[in-house]
Amino acid sequence: MSLWSRIVNVFRPGHVQHELDEELQFHMDERVRELTAAGMTPEAAAREAARRFGSPLRLREASLDVKLLPWLDSMVRDLRLGARMLRKNGVVTAAAMVSLSLAFGASVAAFALVDALVLRPLPVRQPDRLIYLTVPTGNPERPEGDTFSDPVFLRLRDAARGHVDLFAMSTQVLRPAKFDGPAGEKEQLRTQFVSGDAFDRLGVVPAAGRLIARQDDLQPGAHPVAVVSHAFWMRRFGGDPAIVGRWFTLADSRFALEDRPFQIVGVAERGFTGIEPGRPSDLWLPYAMYNPRAFGNFYFGWFRILGRLNDDVRVEPAQAVVQAAFTNLRRERARLDGAGPARSPAEAARFIVTPIYLRSAANGPSPLRGQFERPLWILAAIAALVVLIAGSNVANLFLARTAVREHEMALRLSIGAGRGRLIQQMLVESALVAGAACALGLLFAAVAAPAVVGMLAPAGDPVHLDLRVDWRMAAFAGGLTVLTTALFGAGPALRASSVAPMIALRTGGRSGIRARVMRPFVALQVAFGLVVLFVGSLLVLSFARLSSVNPGFAASDVLLLSIEAVRRVEPAERRAALLQVLDRLRNIPGVQAASAADYNVLGRAWTYGFSVPGAQHDKFEATMAPVTPGFFETMSIPVLAGRGFVSRDIEAQHSTAIVVNDAFARRYFGRESAVGRTLEGRFAMDNDSAADYEVVGVVADTRHDLRKPAAPTIYILLPSERSGTLHVRVAGDATALASRLREEIRAASPLFRATSVTSQAAVVGDTLLRERLLALLAGFFAVVGLVLAAVGLYGVLSYSVVQRTREIGIRVALGARQLAVVRTVLLDAGLTAIAGAGLGLAGGLYLARFAEALLFEVRPLEFWSLVLPLGALAVTGLLAAALPALRATRVDPVIALRYE
Amino acid sequence: MARQDALQGSLPLLVLKLLARRGPLHGYGMATQIEAMSDDTLRVEEGSLYPALHRLEETGWIKARWTTSETGRRARVYEITAGGRKQLAAEEERWKAITAAVGKILKHA
Repeated sequence: MSLWSRIVNVFRPGHVQHELDEELQFHMDERVRELTAAGMTPEAAAREAARRFGSPLRLREASLDVKLLPWLDSMVRDLRLGARMLRKNGVVTAAAMVSLSLAFGASVAAFALVDALVLRPLPVRQPDRLIYLTVPTGNPERPEGDTFSDPVFLRLRDAARGHVDLFAMSTQVLRPAKFDGPAGEKEQLRTQFVSGDAFDRLGVVPAAGRLIARQDDLQPGAHPVAVVSHAFWMRRFGGDPAIVGRWFTLADSRFALEDRPFQIVGVAERGFTGIEPGRPSDLWLPYAMYNPRAFGNFYFGWFRILGRLNDDVRVEPAQAVVQAAFTNLRRERARLDGAGPARSPAEAARFIVTPIYLRSAANGPSPLRGQFERPLWILAAIAALVVLIAGSNVANLFLARTAVREHEMALRLSIGAGRGRLIQQMLVESALVAGAACALGLLFAAVAAPAVVGMLAPAGDPVHLDLRVDWRMAAFAGGLTVLTTALFGAGPALRASSVAPMIALRTGGRSGIRARVMRPFVALQVAFGLVVLFVGSLLVLSFARLSSVNPGFAASDVLLLSIEAVRRVEPAERRAALLQVLDRLRNIPGVQAASAADYNVLGRAWTYGFSVPGAQHDKFEATMAPVTPGFFETMSIPVLAGRGFVSRDIEAQHSTAIVVNDAFARRYFGRESAVGRTLEGRFAMDNDSAADYEVVGVVADTRHDLRKPAAPTIYILLPSERSGTLHVRVAGDATALASRLREEIRAASPLFRATSVTSQAAVVGDTLLRERLLALLAGFFAVVGLVLAAVGLYGVLSYSVVQRTREIGIRVALGARQLAVVRTVLLDAGLTAIAGAGLGLAGGLYLARFAEALLFEVRPLEFWSLVLPLGALAVTGLLAAALPALRATRVDPVIALRYE
Repeated sequence: MARQDALQGSLPLLVLKLLARRGPLHGYGMATQIEAMSDDTLRVEEGSLYPALHRLEETGWIKARWTTSETGRRARVYEITAGGRKQLAAEEERWKAITAAVGKILKHA
C-alpha cells in the first residue's frame, strides 16, 4: 500500500472500515465454529473467542492508523464537520464569506495593480543595474525632468564610458502607420526611438530577425529599419515569421516623416514591452531616424538617457563622472551663447551648477507611476482595512458560535479529546471560510483589476498593465488567507478550547461567553470603518469640489473633431479649405459657433518664457494657444477688453494680432491697459525670427488645469500650415449632429476628413481620471466598511440581548422602566463605538496626511470632512442598535425567568 | 502475558516464514498454525495479528486479496511478495545470530 492509497483511503473511510470489520469478524466466526465443533455451547464459544481475540475496537483503530494517514484523516473529518457547521449557519456564514471575499478581492486587485505598476522589475537582464538620468526642473509639480537633447547625450555617453554605459530611448509617441500600401488603413502605433546599443544594454534578444543595433546609428535619416514588439507581432500579424523584411510606411507630419517607408528587421523577445510599465511600445525605430532638426540641437529634448552600470561600479562614482561632464558642458554653453538674452550672472551660475541625478530604473521610469503610485497605495491601505473589518466580523461570528457550541466542546473534552484537537477543529473551520473567500476574492479581483486599469487613462490612449497571475500574486493571496485565519481564527479557537468541561456541562451549555469578549473586535471594526469612511469622504468631497469648479469656459455642448488632410497641400490651400469648412459648419442648423484650434483649453500648444518688463526677476512661462476667429464664442470665453480675432486677422498675409488672457495682462502689463500694446516674441511656428505682436484684446481667464488658477496665456492665430482640431458649439442632441458634421466636412472640402469626434466634456472628464478613480473606489469601500461595521455592531448587540434576557427579565420584573433597559443595552454599545470612533479618527487623520497631496480644496480638519463620516457612522450605528434595543424592551419577564 | 510480549517482536518473522512455507493463508489460518506448531507455547492475543499483518502489507512484504473460504465466506488471504522473501532471509539470519549469541551466554555465564 502506497502513500497514495493511504491518502485515497482517507477519503473513503467507510469502505476501509467495512473491509477491516469483515476480516476481523471472519476470524471470530471461524473460532466460534471450531470451538462449538469441539463441543462448547455457542454462548461459551463466543465468550472464549472474544477473550482470545482481544479488544476489536482498539485493534481496528491500530489497523486504521496503518491504512490511513492519521493527521490527514482527522483534518478531513474536521473539514466535513466544519462544512456541516457552516451550512447550519447558512446566512451568517454567507454574509461573512461575501464580505471577506469582497475585501480579499479588493486587496488582491490592489496588489496586482501596485505590483504591475510599482514593484515588479523590468523583464530585462539585471534590472537593478539600470539607471536613468534626471535634472531638477524647479517646477514643484514635476520636480525632476528626464528628457535630454542629442548633444548632451553624446557628451555624457563619451564621458561616462567605463563607469556606466548610457543609451537613449525616446518618450513614447503615437504615430500612424500603414502596412498595406499607401491606400491602406492607418493604424496608430506606440513608437519609440532607441539608440543602437539600447537593446544590447538592456539584454533584450530578438524573437525573430534582429534588433536595432549600432550599425543603425551611423547616419541621421539613413536607416529606415524597425523592430516590432512580440505582442504587436501576435496581435497584428498572428506571429507570421514572414513579417521580417516587410516594408511599411510611417506618417508623422510633425517630424518630416511623412509617409516614409520602413523595413521591419525583427521582433523583440516576448515579455519585453519597453521601459515604461503600463505603456507598452509596438514599434522601435533607430535614434538616427528621428526628426533631423533634433540632432546637434540643445533645445530639442526628446528622449530619456538610461544606463547600465558597469560591473563593480557603484552609483556614486558613476554619478560623479556624469556630473562633471554635465557641468563642463553647461559651462561651455554659458560661455558660448550666454544661453539666451535675459540671463543674469546669477542665473548663469545656477545653470552651470545644476545637479544631474542617477535614478534607479530597475522597474522602469514611469510618469504613470508618478501619477498613480500614491492613489494605488491609498486604495491598497483601504482594502487592507476592509479585510480587517471583514475579518473582525468573521471572528465575532465564530466567537458567537463557540458560545453555542460550548456544550459540544465540553463533551468532547471530557471524553478525552485533546485541546489541540479542538483548536485544530476551530482553525480548520476558519480556514474553510477564509479559503472559500479567497477563491471568490480572486474571481472578483480578476474582474476588478482590469476595470481599474481601464480607469487609469482616457479610453483613446489606454494603459496596458500586465496583470498576470504569477507566483507573486498566488503567494500574496495565500499569505492573506493564512494571516486572516491566524488573526481572526486563533482567538475564537483558543477561547473554545479553554472551556471548563465541568462548568459548561453543569449549566447545560448556556453559560456562554460574555459579549464582553467581542467588544474589542467591535471597537476595532468601528475604528477601521471610520478610517475608511473618513478617507473615503475626503476623496469624494475633493472630487465633488473639483467637478464643480468653474473653468472659465463652457465645456458642455462643444464637440471636438479631429481632421486630417488626405493629401499634401500648400499652406495657402489648406488655409482656404479650412475656412471653407468652418463657414459651412456654421450654417448647419443647430451649430452655434465653429472654430479651429491647435490646442485644447485644458492643455497647451507650447510655452514661451517671458520676464516682466522692469522686473527682470519676475519670469514666467506663457501658454501659447493657436486658434482661429470664433474660438472665444465657441468656448464661451468672454472678451474683457478690445476684441477677439476676426476674419480679417486670419485672411491677412502676416497678421501680428494677438489676444491675451486677463492673467497675462495683469502679470505683464500690470495695471495699465493691455490693448494696443506690443510684445516682441518668436510666436510663429515656421520661422525663428522675432517680431512685434500687437495685443488687440483681453479675454477672461480659463483654467488649463482645473486644480490650478489660470495660467498667463497668449492666443495667436492658427498658422496656415496647420488645421488643428475643429471646435463646434451645438445646441440640442450632439451625438445626432456628430455624423452630420462629418458629412458636411467632406462636402465642404474634399481635402479634409474627420478622423475622430469627442466632446470637450469628455476631455474635462479625462483630466479628472485620478480623482474620479479615487473617489469612486474609496467611496465604494467607505460604504462597504460602514455596512460591515454596522453588521458587526448589530450582531454583538443582538447576542448580548439574548445573553442578558434573564437579567433584563429580572429587572423588568422588579419594576425597571423600559427606557432604563434600553439604556443598559445601548450604553454598552455606545461606549464601545465611541472608543472605536476615537481610535478611528486618530487613524483617519494619520492616513489623511498621505492623501492630502491628492486633495483639492479639502482639508482633513474642516467641518464637512469631519461631520460627513462621523454623522454617517452615528446614523448607521443607531440603526444597527435599534433592533436589538427594541427586542430588549419586548422581553417578557415571565418567559425570561421560566426559561432557565 | 510474558509469553505474548516475547512474541510481539518476532510476530512479523513468523508470519513471513509461515507464508513462505505454506503459501497463501488468511489471518485465522495463521493464528491456528502458529498455535499448533509451537505446541501452544506461543499463544497470541489473536487480534494483535491483524495490525501486524496490515503493517506488513503497508510495507509491501506481503499482499492481500479477497477469496472465498471453504465455508463459502469471503476471506482475506495474504501472500508473501518477493520483497517479503528477501526480508525473511535477512530476518532469519539475524534471529539465528541473536539466539545463538543468547544461547552461548546462557550456557557459559
